[in-house]
Amino acid sequence: MFSKFFYTLKNKGLDVTLSEWLTLQDALDKGLCESSLTQFYYVARMILVKSETEFDKFDMAFEECFKGIMSENEVGKNMLAWLDKPEMSALLHEEEKHWLNQIEEIHVDKDDVEEKFKERLKDQNEEHNGGSFWIGTMGKTQFGNTGGNVGGVRVGGATGYQSAFAVIGARKYKDFRDDRVIDNRQFQTALRRLRQFSTKLDIPKTELDIDTTIDKTCNNGGYLQIEMMRPRKNAVKLMLLMDSGGTMIPYSRLMNDLFQSVNKSNHFKDVKVYYFHNCIYSKLYKTPECENGDWIDTEWLFRNADSDYKVIIVGDAAMAPEELYSDTGNYRGPNGGLSGYQWLQLVKRHYKKVVWMNPKMAPGRAPWREAETAVKEIFPMYKLTVKGLNDAMIKLMVNK
Amino acid sequence: MVNTAFSSTQDYVASEELLASVNVAIALKKPLLIKGEPGTGKTMLAQAVANSLGKRLIIWNVKSTTKAQDGLYMYDTIQRLYDGQFGEEGVDDIARYIKLGKLGEAFESEEQVVLLIDEIDKADLEFPNDLLWELDQMEFYIHETKRTVKAKHRPIVIITSNAEKELPDAFLRRCIFHYIDFPDEALMEEIIKTHYPDVEENLMRNAMQVFYDIRAMRDIRKKPSTSELIDWINALQIGGISADTLREKLPFVGVVVKKDEDLETVKNGMK
Repeated sequence: MFSKFFYTLKNKGLDVTLSEWLTLQDALDKGLCESSLTQFYYVARMILVKSETEFDKFDMAFEECFKGIMSENEVGKNMLAWLDKPEMSALLHEEEKHWLNQIEEIHVDKDDVEEKFKERLKDQNEEHNGGSFWIGTMGKTQFGNTGGNVGGVRVGGATGYQSAFAVIGARKYKDFRDDRVIDNRQFQTALRRLRQFSTKLDIPKTELDIDTTIDKTCNNGGYLQIEMMRPRKNAVKLMLLMDSGGTMIPYSRLMNDLFQSVNKSNHFKDVKVYYFHNCIYSKLYKTPECENGDWIDTEWLFRNADSDYKVIIVGDAAMAPEELYSDTGNYRGPNGGLSGYQWLQLVKRHYKKVVWMNPKMAPGRAPWREAETAVKEIFPMYKLTVKGLNDAMIKLMVNK
Repeated sequence: MVNTAFSSTQDYVASEELLASVNVAIALKKPLLIKGEPGTGKTMLAQAVANSLGKRLIIWNVKSTTKAQDGLYMYDTIQRLYDGQFGEEGVDDIARYIKLGKLGEAFESEEQVVLLIDEIDKADLEFPNDLLWELDQMEFYIHETKRTVKAKHRPIVIITSNAEKELPDAFLRRCIFHYIDFPDEALMEEIIKTHYPDVEENLMRNAMQVFYDIRAMRDIRKKPSTSELIDWINALQIGGISADTLREKLPFVGVVVKKDEDLETVKNGMK
């Protein structure tokens, strides 16, 4: 049974499981699709796809498999009644389709099909099933439904729906794809992944330990004996280093959103935010304006923020080669005798977990972006999208 | 699906897709998971389904502290302890201190009910996983009394989510999924008319125009939703605002736009 669709979905990157597939078969058996392609589209989508971010992929797969089965237009009520045959769910029987198509290899020319369709729509005045000329069910002309012809005009089935291909054609779920660049709320959700609960912190015992209290009270013959414990707190400490250089200006809104979400996420034990211009050198700035003097020593940061900090560096990694490799390459402030590349390696050596988020990362290898390729060799780099941020957060949380 | 099919009710307009999702979920006996922008009527859907099918609605509101166990049953040990200390009758009968949660209530009901699990994503990440067995088999076991509570009639389960957290795959696989699209203008008109059947045509059209314009503004932070438009139209009606000055004066715009920055944007954008 139309397993091609199953594999097309898989190829498009949809994680459809066998149990969901069987549920769809169950729905077909129960006649929930009423042998209408459009109805089938919705039923298949609601069962197989569990996130609006994947609707677009589903649409693409659906179009690939069922292309050419077009929506109804200018069809009389009578004709729809002749074509309304829910019992002929043969549309989905690949074999029959195959057999029907073998009889006559039809070259599909869209204009030609449409013209013939209109012509016959005008002339036809009775019901036809299984023929090869008129519009009807089970036939092998390009018209009608439940037929073997895959490159023709589809007529009828359930009405009242926005046709499957009208939906797909509009690609209205494109914006929901999760490889898109993100907004504030989604940032916050992604940041919530950075959690590591611990009770081994140096804080006072302020919470009632109910279980132990009950045990002790019982052992005490029913007289209340209260036990306190330390609250479970998130032990994750976060350091955010943001590029605030000229090439980052187009992303300032995105940077602002990220900053806001880190600020709003009050579940971290500690958060430090510093800025740099193009690349990290001996000074880090306290404000995004990166003004001379309003800074701290990078080495001071190494001394005062221990290696447990999870570090997120955000930048486009689009430095000029001399900004990265020359030890006098920093035109805004002091270099401290080291090149930017060496400073980045110091960061890597000092902190156990560092990721680089890049709002305009090139997909795959991009040797023409010299600096980006060099930075990728030092830090794992992710694109600043929902998916990228989630992957980065997982990278920050796993032990090696 | 003879007499059990769900259709739009007097006060709830559902799109054809949504109707199909509800009916498929009922036919396949699977929970229906509803996602969508805030204010698109996710929670109201359950009420509408219950009304349309003439069934009782049980609502389980999920909060960040809710545990799966809360929905099944609670064993009121404190009450039992008190009763024990004061020598009340029947302390040895544990069943007296077992109180069923919302899920348990739905299972024990004598007739089929509609169970709404509202905002499931508010709870802990593991919450949906803890309910897999219960929602699949429609039964659970009370350890204290060694009793199995089994659904007398499989409830129609509707689950809403604001997508604050990703739901676990194992859970998603068992659900029928529907994403409530933001209504287009034709559907929006129908929705407004179900709420205010005698709304003045001109007022409604102008308000909708302004509303969609606001939503289309690129730098708006919180897009207004259906429920906000409905509130706004209500406010405009009560205030007796004339339709012509809507765009220039933006009366009661605070109902639609909630953030200070957005208010500025909207005022500048409408000029």
